[in-house]
Amino acid sequence: MIGGGVVLAIIAVLLVALGTRFLQTKGWSSPIPRPDGGYLSGGETDTEHAEKQSGLLRWLTTVDHKDIGILYLVFGTVAALWGGTEAMMIRTELLTPTADVWTAATYNGLFTTHGITMLFFFVTPVFFGIANYFLPLLLDADDMAFPRINAIAFWMLPPSLLLSRAGLPADALGKLLSTVGVKIPFLEALHPPETGWTLYAPLSIQSGNPQVDLLLLGLHLSGIATTLGAINFIITVVSERGDDIGWPDIDIFSWTMLSTSGIVLFAFPLLGSAVIMMLLDRNFGTTFYLVEGGGPILWQHLFWFFGHPEVYIIFLPATGLVSTILPKFSSRKLFGFKFIVYSTLAIGVLSFGVWAHHMFSTGIDPRVRASFMFVSLAIAVPSAVKVFNWISTMYDGRIRLTAPMIFAVGSIGTFILGGVTGVFLAAIPIDLVVHDTYFVVGHFHFIVMGIIPMMMFAASYYWYPIITGRMYDTLLARLQAVLTIIGVPITFGSMLIMGALGLPRRYANYPEQFAMLQQVASVGAFIIGIGVLLWLWNMVQSYRVGPRVRDADVWKLKRDDAFTREWQWFEQKLADRYGTDGGESDDD
Amino acid sequence: MDQKVIDGEARPARMPGLFRPVDRGPDMHRALRAITGGLVGTMVLGGFLLVLDTQARGTLSVAAVVGRFLGIDGRPLIAIALFAIVTVVVWPALFVAIEEYLPFGPDPAAQAVAFAAVIGIVFVVVGRGSITGPILVIYVGFSVLAHLAYGFAFGSIYGRLAG
Repeated sequence: MIGGGVVLAIIAVLLVALGTRFLQTKGWSSPIPRPDGGYLSGGETDTEHAEKQSGLLRWLTTVDHKDIGILYLVFGTVAALWGGTEAMMIRTELLTPTADVWTAATYNGLFTTHGITMLFFFVTPVFFGIANYFLPLLLDADDMAFPRINAIAFWMLPPSLLLSRAGLPADALGKLLSTVGVKIPFLEALHPPETGWTLYAPLSIQSGNPQVDLLLLGLHLSGIATTLGAINFIITVVSERGDDIGWPDIDIFSWTMLSTSGIVLFAFPLLGSAVIMMLLDRNFGTTFYLVEGGGPILWQHLFWFFGHPEVYIIFLPATGLVSTILPKFSSRKLFGFKFIVYSTLAIGVLSFGVWAHHMFSTGIDPRVRASFMFVSLAIAVPSAVKVFNWISTMYDGRIRLTAPMIFAVGSIGTFILGGVTGVFLAAIPIDLVVHDTYFVVGHFHFIVMGIIPMMMFAASYYWYPIITGRMYDTLLARLQAVLTIIGVPITFGSMLIMGALGLPRRYANYPEQFAMLQQVASVGAFIIGIGVLLWLWNMVQSYRVGPRVRDADVWKLKRDDAFTREWQWFEQKLADRYGTDGGESDDD
Repeated sequence: MDQKVIDGEARPARMPGLFRPVDRGPDMHRALRAITGGLVGTMVLGGFLLVLDTQARGTLSVAAVVGRFLGIDGRPLIAIALFAIVTVVVWPALFVAIEEYLPFGPDPAAQAVAFAAVIGIVFVVVGRGSITGPILVIYVGFSVLAHLAYGFAFGSIYGRLAG
């Protein structure tokens, strides 16, 4: 029947409308009045930034650290949703033992692009966004040390994402054009790379897919952007601090960003050089990573010399957020502040001495392997110091289970699981058994999902009032926190079990006996995905209609003498906007 | 001339941007607001469905789903054009007609999300055809999500233009 679906949809909508009306007249359901009367953001004008450009031009030309921070956060969120979609696709493919949803080649593309998108275009930009917004406030600096370089560093990221991920937009554009009869062969030539995010030679050199070249260029560009950002953070912390902030007064999040930036400074330029050499091998006949030249193992050394510090680049800011948020909701000072700073610095240094633990099974010299095993075991010590101090901070504290706190406490738990399995993997005999199995995937996802995004969520809730001037839906936030904390061990715990049972990673097909565990992992992933959608809704909808914040002490931090500088800045901002008596402003 | 004077003369208190601030006067007609919202919503919906079609890599065709939904299976171009008319004009018109009866008021964005969720569910059920197996998870999830995003984009624009 023509229009069958449309008619059915109209009937369904009318039924819902009638049902609602019925419930309203019966008094069972009525619109809940918002505490502030339910303002829409449409009523606001940007009187606060009267000196800035308006509209789109403001966001394209801004050099304000707060604006750039928001740009980073939006960019990182888009990348996360893109990479998250691929995660959901991976888990859908793995619901059945055979590759019956997509081909094995598509599956290879999915895990490659998922890894690259999440590591390079989600995590680092989001942490840089948070740091951009808050570091100058925490350090009482006017802005970042080099505001224009800050803007340049951000604006390099969208093109680098587009280069790295050109396959999907090219495919979509090709589809659109083909519907109107235009065919551009180049658009069809770009396929997602199937090399894994590690781009191991010789596979990545032999691949005839031109998208691999674009990916290498994109990674190079993103490396430049990240390095510029890191230099900016270092100079800001070292020389832009306010007059009354000496080195002992620097907060813990700034310390972790300083350490992270230091690692970036030494790791990313090396990645840039390594990918250029790979580009030359692919296109100009050089032999850096061929057997005749440096050999495929050279790529692994260079890649992991960058790659393992990269793990700490994305991990340290998350620990900084735990150390920042946890004490606030425990009504305690951070236990052993100095030791957490020392452990952060120690991780920064040690992170450059563990790279070959990714290569235990490649046949490198056993004496070299042993030394890397010792350093890999040693790096667990500063991480354990952090965990001990976090738990000690909570001990005998007055715990308030707000959404940021639930995330912070949950992160400690999941990080312990990720960290302890990492210690197992650092031991050569165990690594040789479980190398390239789901055990490894489970281990690092307990970190890259279990603490990193969880602390991003925590930060997004904790500082939401400062960024938006409004309060989020606390109940929905707590629900998301609980869903995530449930989803993570279900998903990645299953992977640990599958890996221990010997299931290799990166295959679209797997033996029948793992079907149940794979399905459990997929269900866990979907739970996490639903949580992410709740978060997105909460962020966007609360920005529009959330209750306005009038009292800067949202978290009752003054009571514990924990009303830190960014909140003091916010208090001043509110006083300027509403007047010190909390009166109405002109724009309301 | 003194640089400060030049700046002071050349730069008004607020520079106009590419997009001027939205005129939130009470004059904009409700129907026009709805169609503007529908247009933006359709772009969002189209984006989502295009990503679904691309990511599905040939295992499902969104044009065919839309064709089944509209009851004109086999003519994808006409189906897409008709679908665009439905999402730009028909759904917004229906929303305007029954707005006060929808749940989650007074915010039109929240109301439109509920409205679009119902449409999305019908879209998924009617348009499903022979899609089975694990791809169904992606199909259902993405299609409903696309409609929720459509509803939110439509409703927030509709509300924002209301002043």
